[in-house]
Amino acid sequence: MWRVGIDVGGTFTDLFAWEENDKSYKTAKVLTTKDDRSRGVVQSIEAAGIPFGQISFLMHGTTTATNSLIERNYPDAAFITTEGFRDTIEIGRQHRKALYDPYQSKPEPLIRRRNRFAIPERMSVKGETRRALDEEVARQVAETIARRGIQSVGIGFINSYVNPAHENRMREIVREANPDAHIVISAETRPIFREHGRFTTTAIRACMMPVMTSYFDRLQEALKDKGFRGSLLILKSNGGVMGAKNAKDRPEELIESGPAGGVAYAAYLSRTTDFDNIIHTDVGGTSFDASIVEHGKGLVTRSYELEWEVPVSVPMLDIHSVGAGGGSIGWVDEGGSLRVGPRSAGSEPGPVCYRRGGTEPTITDANLILGRLNPSLSDKFELDIAEAEKAIDGLAAKIGLSRLETAEGMIRISCETMAQAVKGVVVARARDPRDFVLASFGGAGPMHACFVAQAMNIPKVIIPGQAGVASAFGATAMNIRHDVEAFHYASLDDVDVADLNRIYAELEEKARERLGADGIGAPETTITRSAQMRYVGQTYEVDTDIPNGTITKEQIASIADAFHNAHRLEYGVSSNDFPIAFVALGVTAVGRLKEPPHFNFGARGGRANGSSRDVYFDGHWVTSSLYSGRDLEPGASLTGPSIVEYTDSIAVLPPGTSGTVDGSGNLIVTIAS
Amino acid sequence: MDSSSATAQKIDISDRMDPVTFEVLRNSFEYACTRMTTIMQRTSFSPILADILDFSNAIYDAKVRLLAQAANCPVHLAAMQYSADAAISRFPVETLKPGDVIALNDPYQGGTHINDITFTMPIFYEGELLGFAVSRGHWMDLGGGAAGGMSFSTHIAAEGLRLPPIKLYENYEINRDYLAIIMNNTRTPHYIRGDLQAHLGALKSAESELQRAAARYGVETVKAAMNELIGYTERIVRKSIEAIPDGVYSAEDFADTDGFSPDPIKVKVTLTIAGSDITVDFSGSDPICKGSINSPFANTASAAYYSLQFFLAPHAPSNAGMFAPIKIVLPDNCWLNAKWPAPTIGCTTLTSSKITSAIWQALAKAIPERVTGSTCSECNWFVSTAVDEETRRADVFSDLPAGGWGGTPFNDGMSVTMDPLGNCMNMAAETAELFFPIEYEAFELRQDSAGAGKFRGGLGAVFKVRYLCDGELNMETSRTREGSPGVNGGGRSAVQRSSHLYPDGKELVIGGLSPNGAWTSPLLSGHQFSYDEVFKFESTGGGGWGNPKDRSEDKVLSDVLDDYISLAAAKEKYRVVIDPKTMTVDKAATARLRGA
Repeated sequence: MWRVGIDVGGTFTDLFAWEENDKSYKTAKVLTTKDDRSRGVVQSIEAAGIPFGQISFLMHGTTTATNSLIERNYPDAAFITTEGFRDTIEIGRQHRKALYDPYQSKPEPLIRRRNRFAIPERMSVKGETRRALDEEVARQVAETIARRGIQSVGIGFINSYVNPAHENRMREIVREANPDAHIVISAETRPIFREHGRFTTTAIRACMMPVMTSYFDRLQEALKDKGFRGSLLILKSNGGVMGAKNAKDRPEELIESGPAGGVAYAAYLSRTTDFDNIIHTDVGGTSFDASIVEHGKGLVTRSYELEWEVPVSVPMLDIHSVGAGGGSIGWVDEGGSLRVGPRSAGSEPGPVCYRRGGTEPTITDANLILGRLNPSLSDKFELDIAEAEKAIDGLAAKIGLSRLETAEGMIRISCETMAQAVKGVVVARARDPRDFVLASFGGAGPMHACFVAQAMNIPKVIIPGQAGVASAFGATAMNIRHDVEAFHYASLDDVDVADLNRIYAELEEKARERLGADGIGAPETTITRSAQMRYVGQTYEVDTDIPNGTITKEQIASIADAFHNAHRLEYGVSSNDFPIAFVALGVTAVGRLKEPPHFNFGARGGRANGSSRDVYFDGHWVTSSLYSGRDLEPGASLTGPSIVEYTDSIAVLPPGTSGTVDGSGNLIVTIAS
Repeated sequence: MDSSSATAQKIDISDRMDPVTFEVLRNSFEYACTRMTTIMQRTSFSPILADILDFSNAIYDAKVRLLAQAANCPVHLAAMQYSADAAISRFPVETLKPGDVIALNDPYQGGTHINDITFTMPIFYEGELLGFAVSRGHWMDLGGGAAGGMSFSTHIAAEGLRLPPIKLYENYEINRDYLAIIMNNTRTPHYIRGDLQAHLGALKSAESELQRAAARYGVETVKAAMNELIGYTERIVRKSIEAIPDGVYSAEDFADTDGFSPDPIKVKVTLTIAGSDITVDFSGSDPICKGSINSPFANTASAAYYSLQFFLAPHAPSNAGMFAPIKIVLPDNCWLNAKWPAPTIGCTTLTSSKITSAIWQALAKAIPERVTGSTCSECNWFVSTAVDEETRRADVFSDLPAGGWGGTPFNDGMSVTMDPLGNCMNMAAETAELFFPIEYEAFELRQDSAGAGKFRGGLGAVFKVRYLCDGELNMETSRTREGSPGVNGGGRSAVQRSSHLYPDGKELVIGGLSPNGAWTSPLLSGHQFSYDEVFKFESTGGGGWGNPKDRSEDKVLSDVLDDYISLAAAKEKYRVVIDPKTMTVDKAATARLRGA
């Protein structure tokens, strides 16, 4: 039986699959079918030649939810809230993105004001009814929504995280008027305080439900027609997977479904190489993503924003993105400074050297004239060096540098931008980059990875064996994972441990129920607990690990210590001066799937046998060894300056670096200190 | 007459360094400030810092010139420069050691109002001074005659503890005596140590970032990049000034009152553009006033710089290069040049925002095609006590419900967005209720509050908080006599108003215009609320841009469907007739009205 991972990207749909008994594997790449992406998924399986009846698990990463949200491309939805709070999801927190830009606007509200309704009702912060739900108004609103033909309704009332009775009743009233509608309530979507995050996340769920239900229905139908009888599992933002039913019910958990596969590959590397702590980086045509994997797990955040003041308040992999990639454009700003990105030539018109109408110099053009990129890299077309030179010359004239200095400068600046994104995840979470290795994914990644590592004092870079279909490979290495959380504010000094034990038991049951809904029987399950905690008076929480089993009063002191440590790890400070409080309790249930075998993606036979070419490094042309990634076998060693050409990417090893190929075919580069 | 610009030193832009290293270090300086912000936000204790983000962080070079800033509050922009100067003139550079932190808040020694307290720390690398990290935060309460210092009386002593520059930390260790004095002079001692820890954490993170840069690139290169960065911003600003037609442009705006005066108090500004220089002259503004809205030099200059930055260099790094082409002229006896003992509590909010509005209106005469309508031009900052029924202990909460921004040449203004002077967030209702015996009842858009225009202003808000306890409200606001002006034919926004709602349904205007036309001062101090009574505040939108008759019928209809504007306003202000039955535009009637 085959384990199949499929990642649907903007241009290509990638597949990686392995046979569960004999370690054989297959890859495929087909064009993404933009009108209905489920067709490309089916086509990729056909291209790989895998019989549909022989698939045990199909793990699928999709950006459909994220794309349709950003484009506001979904059927009209409605939102019902407490009187006085109709505009919470539009006003946000009243701050602006650019401090001094007088012309800026806020993102379009997810649900238009005309479809947002306010109902007289009020729960107190203690969960007591201060004002009963006005059923008369509630019914009128429900009927108006039904009359407008709206089929998705979000309900979010103030303080519903303490007592959801009014939200539940409102749902019944909406259902009476509109029996077929998708109706979601905020107390189920995200039962945690702070209305802006909870309401927005609820609105996202309401907007996405019809889109994702229809997508997964079509996909399941198509797969079934072809004879697929295995489990369809969907990649989710927290770094795990879930069954299609859960994915239809909880589409707000799909925002990072695309990038999650790559992070899972980094996590796999951290389990199968000597490197425990890995910075995952991915460079495409327009953007650079970075995130951290520690001890085989991706670091998670709850403060993700889809757009300015559009928070998605669910646990998500902490992935930072910046506008730096192969298509990033070099330019000179109004102060005469050389800049690169965030504007990108993307794939259309693309870099100047592609001769598809691009006229502005890009990072790819710079790499080409520095000799780092082979002009006949792809079999499809020859890259145009002369045009690239002309474009860079235009830039060089403006800043008074030579053509080559300008090209190398562009790369340095771009790598610096990438390093800032790495800082965004590493230093911003108080980690030391020297404790990490940098894993480089994406077509334009390995060309820049060593420079980014140098800028951050990161000692080693890993270029993985399957960088070309990284997200698809990573998908096959994922486990089922559900995070459930409940609000519980209690000071550590007078917390009732019976409450803790009761809530954790409830959460565990909920998490197991959710695993049950994934429809893969009873996988081996690991339950871990955490708590979001803070010093009393603070406004932000830090995740703290909590021991399993019955919690006793005596354990509270060690929980306090664990919190101090976690706070120090995140912010560099901690203090015994302040009392501590629980804010929310969480349980993570992981349903373990079979780990992929130890693959060797390196050559079988063949020898590292290089020719050479001149490459420009640090102001000089240097003779550099040239390798084909296909020919590098385990144990092969190379020294910089070297260029290693893979099918979908090129690795650049600058002078002073050295590389070896490990037993799995990963190229490990050591950066000179 | 005082006449100076923030940096007297001439900036050398002739010897430019390698542009690539420059760009790399520029990123590093900006990152240092961003990191300081993250630490302040995540580790501070008082809601006004952690939730509302009323703080700014910056780094300075070894000559105490502003280098980079992550300002949540533009009004801190140049004011921090004066604070750093004052700190260093009291404790000269050569006496400073690693781990020294100088604190001050004296409005007449580089401060603005008592609540903004500034921490300055030198940064050394291998014994050599690289520069300074500066962190400024608005502290919830530093004593005085009313919570938040908002007593609105006639002497600075009523506004709280006035700290000259003091060495609060030595070798990263706090001076316990100073700490005790501060703790004894606040209504909120429980926040102090946590907030201090956050400021210190922020300063230390900037220290390690600059040291990292020095270790990698060498002290000389880092210093050269600092110098170049200031020149870089100056070049951008000068180029931008050159694009404005030379000339003399004046405008006025008004504060409703200082709490005592029956008449408005005038800001008059005259901009003289000559080549790549601007002179901002406040001559003709009213003299020192009795109440608490006087603005010290640091605050007035800061307001002038940030107001201009919106149209000169919105994307350039905020640093000393911004100050060089701009000269501030202030008369001696002027409410915008406060001297001891003139009270100043409202300067950063009420006064700054009127300076901005006046400057933008003056600029509109020079570059009408680029300037936007005025924003709400208020911070609407209130501080209130909430007395716990059992313990009778009074806690303090605060919020600043924003209004809208002006219409722009390209789009409608933003609704309910913090005024240009700051970039603070509001309190989340569920956070407020968890910690204080109050209930937030509303924070929603206020229909018809924006100035009409081809591009209308953004909307203001209706804000309501219910006391489930006794409380004493202090608030500064204005724009209660008339709303914010539009430009190029755009309309004025609605007036702001504060009201007191009683359980029996009675509604009393406590600041602004009553339905009977009577007007009361909107500066509230010690206004008493009891159980189940509601404080209601209506903020205004921004001014409009361009003639409302040029707004498309579709947009007007859409605004009506979304309740942003009423049917009546569609007809009266935009001259678009909408049939209330079908909710479609009555084309014929509209053509008649618009043609007229």
